[in-house]
Amino acid sequence: MKQNVSAPKRFCFSIGLLSVSIIAFELVLMQILSIVQWYHFAYMVISVALLGFGAAGTFLSVFRKRFLDKAEILIPLLMILCGIAMAAVIRTAQAPYFRFDCYLLFSDASQMWQLVFTYLLFFFPFFLGALAIGLIFLKFVNEIGKLYFANLAGSGAGGVAALGLISFFLPQEIPAIISVVPVVSGIMVLSRKSMGLVFAFVSISLILIIYSIMNPPNLAVSEFKALSRALNLTDAEIDFEKNSPHGLMQIVSSSALRYAPGLSLTYREDLPAVKGVFQNGDWLGPVISWKSGDKAFVMDYTTGALPYAINKRARVLVLNAGTGTDLLQAISQGATSITGVEPNSAVLSLMKNELSHMTDSMFDHPSVSVRNIESRTFLAMDTSTYDLITLPIVGYFGGTSGLYALQEQYLFTRNAFRKMWLRLSEEGVISVTCWMDYPVRKPLRILSTIVEMLEEQGIQNPVDFIGAVRSWGTITFILKKTPLSNTEAELVREFCNRMSFDPAILRGLNQEERAWFNKLEDDNFFTYIDELLSSERKKLYSEYDFNIEPATDNRPYFSQFYKWQSLPNLAKHFGNHAIPFFEMGYLIVVLTFFQILIVAGVLIIVPLFFIGWEGGHILRTVFYFSGIGIGYMFVEIVLIQMFILYFGNPIYAAAAVITSMLVCSGIGSYVSSKIKRLWDYLSIILLSIIVLLFFYAVLLSPMLNKSIAMPLPAKILFAVILIAPVSFLMGIPFPAGISYLAEHSYKQVPWAWGINGCLSVISTAVATIVAVELGFVWVMVFAALAYSLPLMSEIEMRS
Amino acid sequence: MLGLILGLTMIFAGVLPEESSFISQRQAMVKNQIEARGISDRATLQSISSVSRHLFVPGKLLDSAYDDRPLPIGYGQTISQPYIVAYMTEIINPGTDSRVLEIGTGSGYQAAVLAEIVKDVYTIEIISELGNSAAARLKDLGYKNVNVRISDGYYGWEEHSPFDAIIVTAASEYIPPPLIDQLKDGGRMVIPVGSPFMIQTLMLVEKKGDKIKTTSLMPVRFVPFRRSN
Repeated sequence: MKQNVSAPKRFCFSIGLLSVSIIAFELVLMQILSIVQWYHFAYMVISVALLGFGAAGTFLSVFRKRFLDKAEILIPLLMILCGIAMAAVIRTAQAPYFRFDCYLLFSDASQMWQLVFTYLLFFFPFFLGALAIGLIFLKFVNEIGKLYFANLAGSGAGGVAALGLISFFLPQEIPAIISVVPVVSGIMVLSRKSMGLVFAFVSISLILIIYSIMNPPNLAVSEFKALSRALNLTDAEIDFEKNSPHGLMQIVSSSALRYAPGLSLTYREDLPAVKGVFQNGDWLGPVISWKSGDKAFVMDYTTGALPYAINKRARVLVLNAGTGTDLLQAISQGATSITGVEPNSAVLSLMKNELSHMTDSMFDHPSVSVRNIESRTFLAMDTSTYDLITLPIVGYFGGTSGLYALQEQYLFTRNAFRKMWLRLSEEGVISVTCWMDYPVRKPLRILSTIVEMLEEQGIQNPVDFIGAVRSWGTITFILKKTPLSNTEAELVREFCNRMSFDPAILRGLNQEERAWFNKLEDDNFFTYIDELLSSERKKLYSEYDFNIEPATDNRPYFSQFYKWQSLPNLAKHFGNHAIPFFEMGYLIVVLTFFQILIVAGVLIIVPLFFIGWEGGHILRTVFYFSGIGIGYMFVEIVLIQMFILYFGNPIYAAAAVITSMLVCSGIGSYVSSKIKRLWDYLSIILLSIIVLLFFYAVLLSPMLNKSIAMPLPAKILFAVILIAPVSFLMGIPFPAGISYLAEHSYKQVPWAWGINGCLSVISTAVATIVAVELGFVWVMVFAALAYSLPLMSEIEMRS
Repeated sequence: MLGLILGLTMIFAGVLPEESSFISQRQAMVKNQIEARGISDRATLQSISSVSRHLFVPGKLLDSAYDDRPLPIGYGQTISQPYIVAYMTEIINPGTDSRVLEIGTGSGYQAAVLAEIVKDVYTIEIISELGNSAAARLKDLGYKNVNVRISDGYYGWEEHSPFDAIIVTAASEYIPPPLIDQLKDGGRMVIPVGSPFMIQTLMLVEKKGDKIKTTSLMPVRFVPFRRSN
């Protein structure tokens, strides 16, 4: 039976604070797991952990009466236990016996138990926190609008709090700091009756938290990560480390750390040691020691030197400049105006300060100007022309087992190449270097992207505009604004002879020249290249076992190559054990989807044995709360992606979108609590959401493109104007639905909340899969369709 | 009768079942994974047949020692797939008088396989823990012609150069110039390129006078990636 109890204000504050801590903990946990493992593994673990919200709904459905009877003591106790769990789980997960490594999962079956344990471990803080929130919702259900507002606003603030903490502390120090917050939330809602017992828990938790703050755990990074490999080198040590919203930045020095991708075998000098910069344990770039007087530059002996071998380059644009290797090359080649673009402010700060002595203050060189912005955003706003535009090297030596398959790479889309093409001077070239992979994928996708872009520009004979040179390990493509002249073609040949490289694409090339110094076992690679340059391109797209069609802004997954229908063929040729390592990132997302689908299914069905199977009522509730959960998450994911390009900074775009959406939805929820007969207007509200989402699917991207060059304050205002209305409306259906259930079927309240939680988690995996297979526009269309589920349920309920 | 007594003694001593199991696994490995894929050099096959691979893998992966895949040995390193070891051995044309340099000792398995064939093996490991344990293991197994050094493989082992062949098992994104200098004229260097857990492309570097040429060798032949094929 529903209890008509008013929630004291302290409960609203308490739920808000608890929500701050849960979201902040989630984000920090994501960073920690990305450091010790990889981003996609972090995503998998946290997705399962977030099912704690669904599980809490199930738990409350089953034990509703008992929990409500003891709510006074349970609410603060659960919050305090949540704090203790936050402080303890990282240290426990790092213990040698429990430590899991996803790279070993496919070679050591015993890792499966470590994985299950990892899931359970990280599940607890979310489950305990969610139980406390759910119990408050249930106890004060007549004030769900206000409580949901506090929940959403707190979650929004949690994102900002996490950014703040990440800027000042090392990742391993943060969980213990955050864990103070749930304890404070618990203390805020202590009742006099429960004071004694809870006080004991408070004391224990504070001792544990203070100990954890004083002694943060060491993070054991996977032995397969680039950082661990570097630290295995002779006299390797971490010289410097700093955390920021871009990730944990670490500088490693070792006398055995060197950098020269695909170095020419004619190079006879000593290779100097470099410092390595790592971000979240992954390789970010080398810092090559260089002084203005130095003549030889090791990068001049790589295929990346091709554009300089055929012409002088006065005006150079270096996109995603990173640690500045391409900037140094431009300086050493005598470029007079060099623009470096780098979105990662932490790297820029490092290069301008701590490491400036190694590169002769390269970033402050008179011919260098540096912009701290996303490269695509810069291209959209810039109007200059350049003699050379360089992109960062594609791929890694030896490959990465596809761990970055689902990383959005807007710099390597067809749209990006079109923007770069427009910025070229008459003799200008775009240069992109790529590691040769096996089976070959990345070089083919680079070429298909270039060729399709040229075709869009009405160029029918792409081979006249493209040159490509291959070493034993890398291939560099150049794309020229005007056809390569005979003289330039000869200079390419001379460069190849001098360096023991082979031309792969060049006008007037004969087959023998293509593998004079560096033979391939067969010539299929050249056949593919020729087909991509011909009208047979589409045939190759459909017949090749990997997807090598160009990435687009709508599907910006340059490193995603899997074709599901090709898996049997790949397994036949390479063996089943090799399959996971082709593209682990995408596989992990699909694996995550099935895991959470099964667990969520169980969590949704189990309560029905306790609250009863009431036919149509049950289905209506499922549709209503599933639709809200799916729709909200889909919108959030697409908006973050679209605003990354718009603002030119992924971290701040994500923070801005999440915070604006949650706060506006919170306000929507709060306002809904003031509206009498809310149910009468719900159809109109849901219909408005659907119309707005269809509008976004069609018009949001063009609108953002048109306004991208506006000043930042105007862009922020425009973004809020775009995000606020739909977010405000999306905050209403959940409290409206809960209020309806409170009136008509109170026992379904926690169950409905659990459904919403479970489907929100499932939707993150589904949204990624839809984005990869169909593109972001379709994710938004599906979001609109998802909101038609609550609309249909509402119409059905009304009838 | 004598055989029976000897057999029973070994069973009671707990030796025979385990060893015979590994011997049969090793024979199956050579037949199904190595010969079946086209390795035909007798010296290589004999060597692989005689080296106990299970003594080079971590204890908890003993059951997988003869599987057709690489296995982790710690520090982010692997013991290569048996076929890759055989292929690399065959491709350098090892002779009984050869002097071979190996960069990346790892567990010492490749060095042991080479030591069964060539005169001298010089092997360098940069990770001291791996290098020391491999040196101890090789010594325990009685390999007197294997020399292990803990150092940066970039510089090779100049005192013992030139080498007839160089095997680089821990490849990097550049081929160290000193290694090319330490390769005999007409010598061969082989390097695996690719993630160790995936299919690796082996690359052969040949030095002929001033000319240095590379050839990519694909250990697993496959038809081009077209579904129609």
